[in-house]
Amino acid sequence: MSLDTVKPSPGFLEHLPIEYKDLIEHGPYGEQKKVTDMGKFKELVEEHPMCAGCAMGLFIRLVFIGLPKPEHTVMVGTAGCGRLAISQGNIPFVYGNYGDTNAVATGIKRGLELRFPEQDKDVVVMCGDGGLVDIGFQGLMHSWFRHEKFTTIMLDNETYGNTGGQESGMTQKGQIMKMSPRGKKDDKMDMMGLAEVANLDYVARITPTNPSRVVRTVRRAVMVAREFGATFIQAYTSCNIEYSIPTPDVMQDAFDMEKKNYGFEEKISDRAKAFLDEIEKKDKKKKKK
Amino acid sequence: MLVQENLYLTRSATDGQGGQQFLYKVNQYGISAISRPQEEISQIHWDVEVIKYHETKTIKFDICHDTQLAEKTLTFYNDTSLNEFLEKAFEYFNELSTLNDMIAKNE
Amino acid sequence: MSNLNAQEEGKSADWVPAGDMQEEISLEEMLKLPRETIFMTGSEAARESIRRANVDMAIAYPITPQSETMQQAGYLYDEGYIKDYYRAEEEIGAFSAISGASRAGVRSLTATSGPGLMRGMEAISSWPGARTPIVMLDMCRVINTPLAIQPDNIEISFLLDTGMLVLHGENQQDFYDFPLAAFMVSEEVDVTLPCTVAVDGFFVTHARGNVSIVDRKYKLPARDGWKSAVPAMDNENPPARLSRDAPIQKSNFISYHMHSSWQQEVFSAVERSAKYFDKYLGGLIEVVNPGADEMIIASGAAVSQAREAVRQEGEKGNKVGLIKVKTIRPWPRQQIIDAAKHAKTILVPEFNHAGWLHKEVCTTLYGHSEATIYNGPRVFGGMTMPTEMILDWLAEIRNKTGSKNLFV
Repeated sequence: MSLDTVKPSPGFLEHLPIEYKDLIEHGPYGEQKKVTDMGKFKELVEEHPMCAGCAMGLFIRLVFIGLPKPEHTVMVGTAGCGRLAISQGNIPFVYGNYGDTNAVATGIKRGLELRFPEQDKDVVVMCGDGGLVDIGFQGLMHSWFRHEKFTTIMLDNETYGNTGGQESGMTQKGQIMKMSPRGKKDDKMDMMGLAEVANLDYVARITPTNPSRVVRTVRRAVMVAREFGATFIQAYTSCNIEYSIPTPDVMQDAFDMEKKNYGFEEKISDRAKAFLDEIEKKDKKKKKK
Repeated sequence: MLVQENLYLTRSATDGQGGQQFLYKVNQYGISAISRPQEEISQIHWDVEVIKYHETKTIKFDICHDTQLAEKTLTFYNDTSLNEFLEKAFEYFNELSTLNDMIAKNE
Repeated sequence: MSNLNAQEEGKSADWVPAGDMQEEISLEEMLKLPRETIFMTGSEAARESIRRANVDMAIAYPITPQSETMQQAGYLYDEGYIKDYYRAEEEIGAFSAISGASRAGVRSLTATSGPGLMRGMEAISSWPGARTPIVMLDMCRVINTPLAIQPDNIEISFLLDTGMLVLHGENQQDFYDFPLAAFMVSEEVDVTLPCTVAVDGFFVTHARGNVSIVDRKYKLPARDGWKSAVPAMDNENPPARLSRDAPIQKSNFISYHMHSSWQQEVFSAVERSAKYFDKYLGGLIEVVNPGADEMIIASGAAVSQAREAVRQEGEKGNKVGLIKVKTIRPWPRQQIIDAAKHAKTILVPEFNHAGWLHKEVCTTLYGHSEATIYNGPRVFGGMTMPTEMILDWLAEIRNKTGSKNLFV
């Protein structure tokens, strides 16, 4: 079982950092934790330098809880706000070059599959809208069309937050931002549509309004990717700084967006649905026991 | 692999256009076979000349288009056919030098 | 897809990958084995090298004149000598993905030429710092406008300060021998760096030459992902995966210090690779006619032209020396000083307009030699360098004809 590979040798146990021991004894290494238990277990990411009230910080925290097997997960990111929190997580993280995430993830996933054919090793790309749909678009599309077996999670804050609020491909039409001084001329890129064209087995659009749903979505996406090929989650994670959302209103903005144009949507292929039904049934049985 | 018998020198083609030159020598005569780079690898072939050496100490020769072997540059598309030609050429060069020796004696 | 699910790609259930039937032996042992000489193209020589290199993953993207070689790698995958292979979206994709494969701990191969190298340069320049052993075959061709596909090795100058290991092969034989050494050296624990094996396109790749190879039943030992300066990113090394530190992008003294010490370590690793190349390549340089007053220092295909010039001068009774530089990085500084310090005249023939090798030689010999180091002869953009060109330079230098072409 997977946990065996993270069990430290008894002789070394006392020398390991307390955080590490906690992750095994009181954390998600070897046992998936529930959102409702937040605060009662050792989380993979506990501190981060994101702005106060940042929705992305919350969403990333939830993604880490949703990972079905964090002790065997590698995360890949690129420049942007997200990596400031992701790199604080207790998961190997590749902070690669600009827009190279989906290519790097391809290599890692295939390499790990060659070395550990009997052990599930999950790879998850998590980075911003600019990193994925602008500079990383080509790599993203090709990983989808090749049906590479990893999940891509887009932290869509509809801007280049880290570089100071420039327009991105995911910015809404008409929005005035840096580099779109007269308002963005074109529509927000339809990545859900492109994912459908690429025939992905699992695609979801989500906001962080419902933590349990975020966790379930992440888990589904990773499990389907492991089994069938590329999966995609597009998550609205607002930038309260560049969009001037007062900190106390960040969640309200998420609810508003969800109603307006970011409603929860899941597109699951038939084979993925059958697969998920089966594993979720098993989970329920386990819980009852 | 080309015939190794009578192989006098293998060198990079001196005109700088890439490829290898194989120089064979039988007495005063010989064969130059050059294989050059081609944009299409399937087009790689042998450009073959009958040559006549100036003297024995240095590699200096003229292209020789007045033997019965060849009146022009020959093209071979594989090693086997070139090797067959080389065997034939060696035989011819040996006969030619025997003939030349006889002429020289008579003179 | 990979050999793990070969049946999905049409192989029968009882198919055994050819690589599984090979016997693993060390490169030291392999170098002692008897060899068979075959007249083959450089691309075929590279294929035979890859066949024996126990490659796990090869990622290809077409560009002339490289395509031929990675097509051949594709056939090797089909035969089962390579475990995974695909055609990437373009060079940034190919080189990023191969860095992922290397991070995962598998033996990784890619290849490119001129403009492709330039396109993937951002990815390439991050390989050494990420400590990813990768072998990249580089079949040099023209870059810059006007576009051409002809041989010109200016692209090597862009690799010199990346922290990569850079070998420059002379001919088809080198294109068989060098990649085998490159894989072994790049994966040494105290090296753990990517390695480029460059050759001049077309002259080597698309022309035939004699290549001596060992039996195909042998292959190099597999890569061990844990035998590495930076452990593979495979979640099998518990303490190493606690990445608690934020990227060192913040502008503070810690980030400056961290970056500089990391870079120093990369370039020290380049130097440490020298002892291994020395062992596997029979020296970092080859010297013909040591001690001659007139020396030619060259790398790549220019060496072949220089060899013939040396031979022809020898016929005339003139002893001209030749230093073939096999490893550009690590740069064999002391070896070149020892082999060239006595010389009075040094020529550096090159296939590029920048004269990167000339600059390296000048920097190396400054203060160590009284020789006049001539800035050429050079051709570029696919122009030819006939043997006569080198001979003419030597003649003009001897006759002090004050030629138009001789820049010191």
